[in-house]
Amino acid sequence: MMSRFWYKFKKWLPTLVWILIFAAVWEAGAFAVAAVKRTPENVLPHIYQIVEAAFSSKKVSGGKTASDLVLYSASLTLGRAALGFLIGSVSGFVLALIMKISKIVEKVIFPYLMIIQMIPILGMAPIILSVTGDINTSRIVIAAILTFYPVATGTLAGFNSVERSKYDLMHIYAAKKTDLYTKVLIPSAVPYFFTGLKIAAPMAITASILVDTLQGDGGLGTLLSQSLKHAMSVYVFWLIVFFSAFAGIFSSKLMGSIEHLVLPHKRTARAAGKGEAV
Amino acid sequence: MTANATRKEDRDIEIRIKDVGMTFKDNRGNSVEALTGVNLDIYKGEFISLLGPSGCGKTTLLRMVADLLEPTQGSIHIGERLPKEVRMDQKLGIVFQSPVLFDWRTVRKNVELPLEVMKFGRKERAEISEAMLDMVGLTKFADCYPAQLSGGMQQRVNIARALAVRPELLLMDEPFSALDEFTKEKLHEDLLSIWRKTNKTVLFVTHNIPEAVFLSDRVCVLSPHPGRLSGIVEIDLERPRTLAMKETAHFNELVARVRNTFDGGSL
Repeated sequence: MMSRFWYKFKKWLPTLVWILIFAAVWEAGAFAVAAVKRTPENVLPHIYQIVEAAFSSKKVSGGKTASDLVLYSASLTLGRAALGFLIGSVSGFVLALIMKISKIVEKVIFPYLMIIQMIPILGMAPIILSVTGDINTSRIVIAAILTFYPVATGTLAGFNSVERSKYDLMHIYAAKKTDLYTKVLIPSAVPYFFTGLKIAAPMAITASILVDTLQGDGGLGTLLSQSLKHAMSVYVFWLIVFFSAFAGIFSSKLMGSIEHLVLPHKRTARAAGKGEAV
Repeated sequence: MTANATRKEDRDIEIRIKDVGMTFKDNRGNSVEALTGVNLDIYKGEFISLLGPSGCGKTTLLRMVADLLEPTQGSIHIGERLPKEVRMDQKLGIVFQSPVLFDWRTVRKNVELPLEVMKFGRKERAEISEAMLDMVGLTKFADCYPAQLSGGMQQRVNIARALAVRPELLLMDEPFSALDEFTKEKLHEDLLSIWRKTNKTVLFVTHNIPEAVFLSDRVCVLSPHPGRLSGIVEIDLERPRTLAMKETAHFNELVARVRNTFDGGSL
């Protein structure tokens, strides 16, 4: 019992150390800023002030507390990010599959996929906005585009990771193309697909927040720029910053958990059953 | 060269390899002869080895029998049929050097993979995989994933899978060359006992002389540059073979005879 606790403690020790270092550096900065005189007031507040703001019942805007305001905006932004993410991952997977099936499609499309990735989001956003004419749609589209690239390239790498000998094996068994895809290629690509998802999930959220800032209509980004311009509450800004950071990390971890749920062989311990037979 | 046709000519021929050669173009457009003028009859139920150093074309020859390559000269027949017909009929079993296992499938499901391709029903698949895993001694590990198994156990899974389709012949391409000596010896004995039980024709590619001598009825010695058959050595050790035989003078004499069959100087 004790040893299990000790084991867990040792496992989490590096994380704990990092959090402590982060808090220490932060607080050192906060004290330094406070000593000078804080203008505007939201530059590097103490951590306890942010925590206090999160649990404060003071109405900051439209009869809502700071936390309510952030959570409400987050639901809008994360909802759009999730929808874009879903569209991007599905189309990324499908395109990778098509590129695997047809070498010609791969040769035509693959080099240009990279270009999408090279355009900065803030440069792409106004273009998408003017094309779709709707800020809501364009937020979803941009989240989808950003998701699409890592998922498509990751999944394609997964398809291409299958060794020659596995094709040979399926050839020997006179397997049909559909068997090759459903039994070998697609299952081989799934872990790579998830790697793409893990990279893409926080990107979709970041993109959604950034595009929010372009035009009002609710959302974390909109609230973020408002909180900077109007002094609704200095801590709303910091709540958003922390919330976004956690949402990003959580989204990636969530993909990891789903992967473990879908792929049972990733869960099993390597050593189980070893050494009983040669 | 120990020609032995007289003693065996009344036996059925399983594989007939006639004037087979393989020429391919390298990336500068030159023709390279990987294999030339191979004539070989393999008998039904025989354990035969293709032995030689790298570049002698032994794997090329096996891949041609498996219809993974087409000979540029000559012909190969399995029974009365071409390798392609036998393959399309799903009558080939193969074991590669690396264990070609699917890590998201349990051991059982790996063995059942070819049966799924062949559209066997769930119950029949389960029966066959059960029997095959029993034969290779992995019943206890049926629900493990490949990553949980040692290299030797992974090769056992491969053997079980290759035999699951009830193949006409079993092709083995250096199946044990990546294993340690102890595991290898154990697998040699087990492979021979499986072979006795199933009566399959086995075509076994290796670069290990004692391995070829210990396992085979006949050892076909191939030499490189260009790849060709230098001779066939009949292995008259009695069966069942035991590891103790490796200590005998006769075994060593056979190893020496095989070694002397290589074309001198060309290695």
